[in-house]
Amino acid sequence: MASGENRAYVLQLARRFTGSSRPFLCEKGLSVTQGAFESCTSVSARASTARWKRTDRFAGCSCKRRKFSAPEQKSMCHFPQRSSVWPFPKLCSIPWRFYHTSTALMCSCSKTVSDEKYQDPFQLGRKDLKNLYEDIKKELLVSTAELREMCEYYFDGKGKAFRPMIVVLMARACNIHHSNSREVQASQRSVAIIAEMIHTASLVHDDVIDDANSRRGKMTVNQIWGERKAVLAGDFILSAASLALARIGNTTIISVLTQVIEDLVRGEFLQLGSKENENERFAHYLEKTFKKTASLIANSCKAVSILGCPDPKVHEIAYQYGKNVGIAFQLIDDVLDFTSCADHLGKPAAADLKLGLATGPVLFACRQFPEMNAMIMRRFSKPGDVERARKYVLQSDGVQQTTYLAQRYCHEATREISKLRPSPEREALIQLTEMVLMRDK
Amino acid sequence: MWGALLRRWGRGGGRRGLSGGGPPSAAPWSQVVSEAEKIVGYPTSFMSLRCLLSDELSNIAMQVRKLVGTKHPLLDTARGFVYDSRNNLQMRGLVVLLISKAAGPSTAELSFQHNMVSGIYSSQRSLAEITELIHTAFLVHRGIVNIGELKSCDGPLKDMQFGNKMAVLSGDFLLANACTSLAQLQNTKVVELISSAIGDLVQGIYYENSRSSENCLTDDIGISTWKKQVFLSHSALLAKSCQAAMELAKHSAEMQDMAFRYGKHMSMSHKLHSDLQPFVKESSSDAMAFSLNCAPAVLHQEFLGRDAWIKQIREAQGKGNLMDYKKLQEAIKAGKGVTSAIDLCRCHGNRALAALESFPPSEARAALANIVHAVTRFS
Repeated sequence: MASGENRAYVLQLARRFTGSSRPFLCEKGLSVTQGAFESCTSVSARASTARWKRTDRFAGCSCKRRKFSAPEQKSMCHFPQRSSVWPFPKLCSIPWRFYHTSTALMCSCSKTVSDEKYQDPFQLGRKDLKNLYEDIKKELLVSTAELREMCEYYFDGKGKAFRPMIVVLMARACNIHHSNSREVQASQRSVAIIAEMIHTASLVHDDVIDDANSRRGKMTVNQIWGERKAVLAGDFILSAASLALARIGNTTIISVLTQVIEDLVRGEFLQLGSKENENERFAHYLEKTFKKTASLIANSCKAVSILGCPDPKVHEIAYQYGKNVGIAFQLIDDVLDFTSCADHLGKPAAADLKLGLATGPVLFACRQFPEMNAMIMRRFSKPGDVERARKYVLQSDGVQQTTYLAQRYCHEATREISKLRPSPEREALIQLTEMVLMRDK
Repeated sequence: MWGALLRRWGRGGGRRGLSGGGPPSAAPWSQVVSEAEKIVGYPTSFMSLRCLLSDELSNIAMQVRKLVGTKHPLLDTARGFVYDSRNNLQMRGLVVLLISKAAGPSTAELSFQHNMVSGIYSSQRSLAEITELIHTAFLVHRGIVNIGELKSCDGPLKDMQFGNKMAVLSGDFLLANACTSLAQLQNTKVVELISSAIGDLVQGIYYENSRSSENCLTDDIGISTWKKQVFLSHSALLAKSCQAAMELAKHSAEMQDMAFRYGKHMSMSHKLHSDLQPFVKESSSDAMAFSLNCAPAVLHQEFLGRDAWIKQIREAQGKGNLMDYKKLQEAIKAGKGVTSAIDLCRCHGNRALAALESFPPSEARAALANIVHAVTRFS
């Protein structure tokens, strides 16, 4: 199937699932209209559009009002100088994802950003998260040393703390929006802690379900202590999270975050089944992605917005932002499963295929190579399936299309959060959407 | 429905002995339960229909069918769920309903009386269901297998991995449902109580596991440690659920405390009663296998001293590490372990009955007392 058709399909999908028919890329004075955008001939041109737009916003590039043709954009592909201060490493190695892009020239018009506050979007949330892991450990009150060790195993400070970061930034953005308050409430910080705890509990159980051996570059809990104890550790972390949740003392917040627990389990069930029909399969995949990953981010964003601001419109903005960022985050995760190596990820590569899961890149690749259908249906169970599927995916434009779909979700997230009153925190949340796209681990 | 499906597989492979205490002296117990069920005006199943009829559980039921013929413990749990449902499993939900009814409406909550069916608030019925869901979720999670410790006689690795996957998922599903219903109760104190009960339960099961997994036969624990651990694994959930039932009807702190005490002491004596069964049943020709960490054994060790007890175990072990339980049972019976376990059981039973004194006399209170009588009777 021609990649042009595939692209139209992505657009259709993006519209369907972000619930928006608006062009995504016409904000902030960037004059690439959706029509022009869709006429771009190569994926690399689109990729550079995104990068171009980013520098456009942050470096205040003088040529931002110009209308570009695709080749021009390609030649102007560049990276901001300040990439080294970004918390995700190896930003300069991004083009590997678009490996048939041969030119990644530095643009002459890129400037170093002098404005300190934009240097590291995470700086704003970092002081709120200073003792995050210590405080989580305080919630895990266990008498047995071994059980405590298991429960604390992933709270070693080496995780990205991506979720708590979004949650505290959202809390700040909502507080400023509502009352110009610069403080994060204790209850909002608790939500950040609870979000990380629920996430970790689900990781521990997922690793038992998938029989996984390594995560974040270390052995999994089940690998070290055995499955029986690992499941109990997961249960304990969940009970501690739920106790902390009750202590916030707000029944609405309890309901919002309990939804996450239900979604996580239902998402895991969705992962068990596979669909025959192509469209259904994609919807199924995106629903699973929402439940397993985005629901946690969306609902914890919603929870802090409820605590910070009484306006239901703001709650919806927070929820939509979290949902769109969450889905984009998982789409990129699924891409990294194909493009990154095991050492870098801290877990084995092509893990999804080995588990029989057809993620975004596979589903797109299947549109170009229909012979993959049979493999998807048998969940890559025959010898050689995993290798063959991987090869097909890398030959197809599945990786690019999935990245592109993730971009659309990020744009939608940006569009949502832009409805809040401007604040450094709001800008940080916008920057964060781009880091979701650029991350390589 | 799940039950029907399970019943069908139940006829498959031979049934293995279910650990975790059978019904104590069947006749009076089932009689007590069936009378009590009439009082609360509810069918036997407390598991919500919504949960049983869900896509997820039918999905699991279809998948678990693949496990028939394997040795994964999830099958035993599923079978036990069907076979024991008349006796043991739903006891917690029933007690929560009875104590709710025994306490009645609180004077502070008279305006909500129209919400009551058979003298029980709908929120209290949900709570009974939640208690059962949590209990069942952990029955399922108790049955996870350590993949690394499997031997070739356990059958194909793939089956066991699949069984684990199903066990984690179905346990999580039941827990998630419990959490959702809990949130719907709109009472943060109740959420706090039940969450802490889940934490207690996990720690209690953890102790249980760490005993059985390590290759040492007994732990050097005294009866006070035993009581602490059994409280966590067997009593905390019921005690805190009883307390939460009072909180839902806005009963006073003292009333909540009394409900907690009843739940705690009743389940302690229930556990003691089932630990005692191998030692008090005269009819059984050959001795049942029993845990060396059961109450009579722990008490026996306290009277005898650790070294002498280890010596008795070694003597009973004989060749090939096969335990002669008959011999060991006789050794324990000869000592004071059994009688003092019976005393302890009655002591907890009396404390449960004392807690009931704070409730006004009623059918429901009498039923709760009968439950205590049933688990403290030894004949």
